[in-house]
Amino acid sequence: MAVEFTFDFPLPLGLHARPAAFIQERCQDFEGEIVFENLRNGRKGEAKSILSLITSDTQYGDLCRVVVSGQGEKEFVAALKRFLVEDLKLKEEKALEQVPASTATVPRLILAEKEIYLTGQPASPGIVSGKVFLLQAGFNWESLTAGGEGSPESISLQAEKEAFSQAVSKVQQEIQRLLPQKSGVERNILQAHLSIITDRAFIDRVNELITKEKYQAKQAVYQAGREFSQLLGQAKSQYLRERMADIQDVTGRLLEQLGGQKLTRTRASLNEPAIIVAEDLFPSDFLSLNLDFVRGLILDIAGQTSHTLIMARSQAIPAVTGVTQASRRLRSGEEVILDGTRGVILISPGEAVRRYYQKEMEAEGLLLGRRQQQAALPGQTADGRKIEIAANIGRPEELEKAWRDGAEGVGIFRTELLLYGQPALPTEEDQYLLYKKVAEEASGRPVIIRTFDIGGDKPVPAMSLPQEPNPFLGYRGIRIYQENYELFRHQVRAILRATVFGQLKIMFPMVSLVEEVRWLKEKMAGFSKELQAEGLPFKEKIETGIMLEVPSVALLADKFAEEVDFFSVGSNDLIQYFLAADRSNPRVRYLNQPLNPALLRLLKGAIDLAHDRGRWVGLCGEMAGDSSLTPVFAGLGFDELSMSSGFIPEVKAVLASLKIDDCRQLAARAMEAATAGENSQLLQRFYQEHFSQGVISPELVDLQAVCRSKAEVLQEIAIKLELSGRVDHRARFEQALWKREDDVATDIGFGLAIPHCQSEAVRAPSIVVLCLTQPVDWQSKEGQPVDLIVSLAIPAGEKVSQQLALLPKLSRKLIHEDFREALRQARTPAEIVSLIKQATS
Amino acid sequence: MKLVAVTACPTGIAHTYMAAEQLERVAKKMGLTIKVETQGAMGIENELKPEDIKEAASVILAVGIAVQKRERFEGKRIFEFSVQEAIKNAEGILQKVKEEIGG
Repeated sequence: MAVEFTFDFPLPLGLHARPAAFIQERCQDFEGEIVFENLRNGRKGEAKSILSLITSDTQYGDLCRVVVSGQGEKEFVAALKRFLVEDLKLKEEKALEQVPASTATVPRLILAEKEIYLTGQPASPGIVSGKVFLLQAGFNWESLTAGGEGSPESISLQAEKEAFSQAVSKVQQEIQRLLPQKSGVERNILQAHLSIITDRAFIDRVNELITKEKYQAKQAVYQAGREFSQLLGQAKSQYLRERMADIQDVTGRLLEQLGGQKLTRTRASLNEPAIIVAEDLFPSDFLSLNLDFVRGLILDIAGQTSHTLIMARSQAIPAVTGVTQASRRLRSGEEVILDGTRGVILISPGEAVRRYYQKEMEAEGLLLGRRQQQAALPGQTADGRKIEIAANIGRPEELEKAWRDGAEGVGIFRTELLLYGQPALPTEEDQYLLYKKVAEEASGRPVIIRTFDIGGDKPVPAMSLPQEPNPFLGYRGIRIYQENYELFRHQVRAILRATVFGQLKIMFPMVSLVEEVRWLKEKMAGFSKELQAEGLPFKEKIETGIMLEVPSVALLADKFAEEVDFFSVGSNDLIQYFLAADRSNPRVRYLNQPLNPALLRLLKGAIDLAHDRGRWVGLCGEMAGDSSLTPVFAGLGFDELSMSSGFIPEVKAVLASLKIDDCRQLAARAMEAATAGENSQLLQRFYQEHFSQGVISPELVDLQAVCRSKAEVLQEIAIKLELSGRVDHRARFEQALWKREDDVATDIGFGLAIPHCQSEAVRAPSIVVLCLTQPVDWQSKEGQPVDLIVSLAIPAGEKVSQQLALLPKLSRKLIHEDFREALRQARTPAEIVSLIKQATS
Repeated sequence: MKLVAVTACPTGIAHTYMAAEQLERVAKKMGLTIKVETQGAMGIENELKPEDIKEAASVILAVGIAVQKRERFEGKRIFEFSVQEAIKNAEGILQKVKEEIGG
């Protein structure tokens, strides 16, 4: 007897690995047989085998039949039916909710085209396409055959089967042992491994290979693993790719048990351009590659700050990290597009996505060209007030990118990064060589080395600093130097010795008293004497400065100015000390106000006191990189701004468009405000008065736009706006346009669509007009093709303003046929611009 | 016949004003008097006054979000449509309203 039922498969993503595991779990305790059959394609398998279930290739809505036979089949079949029809969907929905939010932005086209893609963290921007090159420890088939003794005839079938079964139980035990220690994703992966290793389809296939093909156990395992993973690798589903990785992992574990040899990394063999895929990549491995051929980097492990990634950014090699099991889900030679800006990897993309990315790459090229022009600008205002624009670095590897971004020097080299994660403290000699290298690579540009700024907030393994309840107000910076005298001595000596090779300056962190500076200088003088006595060369005169991060230094800057050559404002700490707000506490984050009038007065006072005594003042906190604040900083009188180098081109471009007197007036008014909010508005008005470019310009018009789909239209709009500097991050803007389209499509009939959105990525209200050479389908209910696009972009939080008021006027005008026809008939972009201007005046 | 209307859409920069313009344009063509209030990014504009509402034969709402100050229309006959419909088929809407209230 057997009982059966049929049902329509309920999951939108089809029967992939996770639901297969749910089904297997539900079925495994039933004593009898359960056969799952997909009636659409006739594929049939055991419901207790994940692999059988997956390879049934069951899609949403497929009619399926389940046949149950065995003890208690009637009761079980009722329960199983309820499970498959109702519970499975709930379980799957719950599991989907638990997927951690990825930081990736997946272009809508990719979703619409049902492309296979992987996501991760965007770790180095840029887009490339190319072939995958796997840098991975794998198993060598030769090592498996060579390891076998005797010819196939002499193999004892029974012994091989026995060996296999022992390996299975050993690996099983090993996983069982690990399970309790793991949680989250790792635990899920282990559980998946466990279910594969006990999977009947897998075990049967291995035994069959041993019996029929006379394979040794390890060869059979290898072969079966390959068969299944290839089967899954061909499938057009994200989840099956993950399962392919699991199978390779399990096969690996089994092969280790059976004595297979692991391959070492195949490092030097890169001899054509490729996208490197690896679990993790040590800097040494990265450097051993021929970097001319490394077009991109895809890593399993998450993170943005490893040496390898810093180097990748510095070489402008796009990278995505935290791609779950990328090294197992991608195959060597496979064609991929790597989008390091959005954190997306496309596998063997189709025609539509290729076109999309071709356009993206062209846009990137144009943007890069603009960036390079900005980077090459001198750090000065339109009327010639010089402000040095420098880079903040933590490691020497960041220098190359800093110079490429247009840094005129290094405003702060945070040396404490050399201590984190190191088992031992660096010697004077280590440091000397490092600072020497930095000085040389700067080739004459100034470099400010800040001495170690460590405290209880970030443990240094090689030192035992006390844990403190309030490390930012505690024992840190120069305060620890007296007790850790040798650390201090070695570093200052190393810096002094390196002065011979370039323009090095020294800067001390966390100074609050004049006495502290006097102590530091006295010791420095002592170290100089030591070096002299030892006959080690150094420059007699080294510019010496202090961080201005404790408010007492700002108020007493005239007295400090008698002791030091310069100040550099560490704005993050200064704000948290000045406004008494821990910057890591989200509840008081609202107090982190760069435009707070009290703060501006404090800064202006300190700068004036320093300037009166001929000292210069820089700014190296996070806010230095915010180009919208550049006019305020210029107006306050800063002589140098130092920032993450990525911000440099933008800040230089803003600076080059400013007049110093306008900035000074702005700063003076900002100091008279009562609140930071007033100052934000003041700044907004300043930008509108000085940079108003109108809502439209000819570069935002294309009378012969070639777009094959709605997706390409929205992409074109986003690209135009970013190229004209009106949108910061076009991927985010494009998402916002789509989100608006999801509410209700924006075609309004008459062949016209008005895609629009309000987004943080938009800087100024803008209008884009496209006349399409071929109408496109706007994917809406009415489904009339669209050939005229008038797109409106509005900054987030934009209050009623003159500029914004123009858009409703235009919207009203678009209702009139004569106006639409005039737009369609226009012969030049300038004509469109003037039509829009008339309509909105 | 005198009518009043309110238009409002989520973003409040395009559809709200297109619908208002369309209703005004078509009403004029059909010989109807209409006053349209817009609730958009610019705030409430061309606001309906109590006497406008009192005199109106009925109220047309062409909206994609909740209408502000809806209580003003209590006791009035209200016809509600989507903003899209007002843009694409203002004539149909006005015709329907006209017939229903027996004009």
